Amino acid sequence: MARLRTFDGGAHPPERKELAERRAVTRLPAPHILRVALCQHMGAPSTPCVQKGDRVLQGQEIGAQNGFISLPTHSPVAGTVTGVEEYPMPHRRSGPVVVIETESEQGEPPFEPWPDFESRSPAEIIERIRLAGICGMGGASFPAYVKLTPPKGKSIDTLILNGAECEPYLTADHRLMLERTGDVAFGMAVLAHALGVKRCFVGVEANKPDAADALRRAGLDVVELRVKYPQGAEKQLIKATTGREVPVGGLPLDIGVVVQNVGTAAAVAEAVRDGMPSIRRITTVSGEGVRTPGNFDVCVGTLFSDLITAAGGYLEGACRLLAGGPMMGIAQFTDAVPVTKGTSGIVALTAGESRPGSEGPCIRCGKCVDTCPMHLVPCAIATAGEHADWEEADRCGALACIACGTCSFVCPSSRFLVHYIKRSQDAVRAMKRAREA
Amino acid sequence: MAETRTFQLSMSPHVVSALRTRRVMFDVVIALLPALAGAVWLFGLAGALLPVVLSVVTAVTVEYLCLRLMKRPVNAALDGSAVVTGLLLAYNVPPGVPWWLPVLGSGFAIVVAKQAFGGLGHNLVNPALLGRAFLVASFPVLMTSGWSAPFDWSHPGGSGFETHGIPASELASVPGADAISGATPLRVMKDSFGDEDLRRSAAVERALASGGTYLNLFLGRRGGCIGETSVLLLLAGAAYLVVRKVLELRIPLSYLGSVALFGWAFGGPSLLHGDPLFSVLTGGAVLGGFFMATDMVTTPVTPRGRIIFGIGAGILTVVIRRFGGYPEGCSYSILIMNLATPLIDRFTHPRVLGEVRRNA
Repeated sequence: MARLRTFDGGAHPPERKELAERRAVTRLPAPHILRVALCQHMGAPSTPCVQKGDRVLQGQEIGAQNGFISLPTHSPVAGTVTGVEEYPMPHRRSGPVVVIETESEQGEPPFEPWPDFESRSPAEIIERIRLAGICGMGGASFPAYVKLTPPKGKSIDTLILNGAECEPYLTADHRLMLERTGDVAFGMAVLAHALGVKRCFVGVEANKPDAADALRRAGLDVVELRVKYPQGAEKQLIKATTGREVPVGGLPLDIGVVVQNVGTAAAVAEAVRDGMPSIRRITTVSGEGVRTPGNFDVCVGTLFSDLITAAGGYLEGACRLLAGGPMMGIAQFTDAVPVTKGTSGIVALTAGESRPGSEGPCIRCGKCVDTCPMHLVPCAIATAGEHADWEEADRCGALACIACGTCSFVCPSSRFLVHYIKRSQDAVRAMKRAREA
Repeated sequence: MAETRTFQLSMSPHVVSALRTRRVMFDVVIALLPALAGAVWLFGLAGALLPVVLSVVTAVTVEYLCLRLMKRPVNAALDGSAVVTGLLLAYNVPPGVPWWLPVLGSGFAIVVAKQAFGGLGHNLVNPALLGRAFLVASFPVLMTSGWSAPFDWSHPGGSGFETHGIPASELASVPGADAISGATPLRVMKDSFGDEDLRRSAAVERALASGGTYLNLFLGRRGGCIGETSVLLLLAGAAYLVVRKVLELRIPLSYLGSVALFGWAFGGPSLLHGDPLFSVLTGGAVLGGFFMATDMVTTPVTPRGRIIFGIGAGILTVVIRRFGGYPEGCSYSILIMNLATPLIDRFTHPRVLGEVRRNA
């Protein structure tokens, strides 16, 4: 067997995948009330194009794209709009949602199915991916069509599907690769056609050998990766599989690479082959704080609390609720927030599993330096940030931080390094904007 | 709709590794215990264990009082860092010293070198080494002479240790003598350099004769500070730290490599006539290299910085041994490099992934 590919640095947080990895995906019916966010993707929220009392069809556009880095939003069900309101969001304080009362989950696909996608031009395919509202399903939720549209003068030669799923607890991508291998393979072929690339493969961490086998049987080229966090971070995945480095401040496009999550590929398959927009996703519900962890195929707009109920409810001691995994996930104040296209998992942690709420002094052990996958000196940036010395934070490369959390994870003093560094990033950006103005 | 509830908020990541500060500190304590056992074996309970216990108790007590006085959380006194400081300070004084010497040194280390700078994580120099420097400057006679010879268990009543040509066994039989006094191998060698006629080999041989063979140096059957003599037991502790992923080997290896190289090049009476093995096995090189030059707080955090630190401390050790006023330069070399640490860190940041360095 070939040596496993990886990058320099990183850490090994307890994987905890055993909680949910053997649970087959359960398709949940749409709840009676859906709250579909209009800001599920990175960039500008879509503009509502329905109002209270309107009847909507499944897959009908309910929010119109609003700018280049934006996407349209679609109704996951047929039903009646009961309002457009501000609601708590998992990834921001609050945002506009369209509230829909479900009547049925039946309906004709809104787009023409193209099972023979090869007869379509790349431009048509990319336009379909845009119209279907597909954003990155790995968590960052960047509009997928933008990544498929290289600026003039840049040529793409490699497509990487990201099946690393390095976040502890999360198994949604694992189950997707196992159970919807055909969708992943179809989506990959579509994406390769849209980009005009010959070289394409799936990167999978070695802790999912069954998924890797399934993909290989489907004829895909699989690159097995060492189990190490953050193996699935875009820059680290590219470095591990191609040896190329994304320039600081640049994009994978700059070095001829496009990375898409395996979930995104499956969504592309549904959009192109079946004519269905992005209205559902697979999400993992896990952690010591839920009774029966599992993987669920749900409509976006389903509340976290509905999913927790589907997973048997909370166990005693559940004290933290995360949108995403424990390394980069966002702590939720309430479980009354809707699932979005980027909700890869919902993790309920008990006090025993989660980090302490206080930090000690930096003992300069250098563990953060040894493990930073970007080869930064996190403790130096954090100290500069604590002292509000933004010049120094910038000199230390604060803007290159990908906020993966490896430094904070290994820090023996449980320092809130990501917090200080993110704060520094905001301040450094503000400083640079002020200087340019 | 299901009933909803609320949760704690916190910044990601939401999990932490098992390696906590307290575990780091107590792992270092555990790693230092074999050398303590060896010291008790060599120098006896009163000679070795008493100063160590006094030093540790003083360090923790003084740390507690400082925290109390400054109205800081006092449980920081039990984080293990004061225990490490107390242990290392005691390891750096000769066996059999008066009881108040380690107490004074340990208290000075905590108050002046550590708490005055803001406590754990904020001190510029290694507290134990500054405590030792204070003792050496204030009580030079107690700190650099009057070495006890290690007790020779195979020849009760003597150690094969020679002092001024008189076999230790004869000294020990002098009525009223309750301890054997002897010079350290490095002291013997340094004194030999004063004699222009002596060749390099003669200097080392005389030094070796005073403490035994390389094997004796390795086992610790020689004069020296309480915790520095047994290379074997120190290495056993260091191996434990490596297994526990507490110790990173860049500093120890670059330091000892540098001591060997420069000890060979400049440590002898003439250029390239030093003895690299002797340089590493004597004095506090192994204790310093594995347990003091690796103090996390006062040494560089960057990989390249650690190598520069080790090489620099190695050069300074050899320079002080050969040309300085003291026979041993290990502790001063580390103290000086501690001061250079912020500068080293600043200029040794690694290349960021994807960063293109422009030629200056």
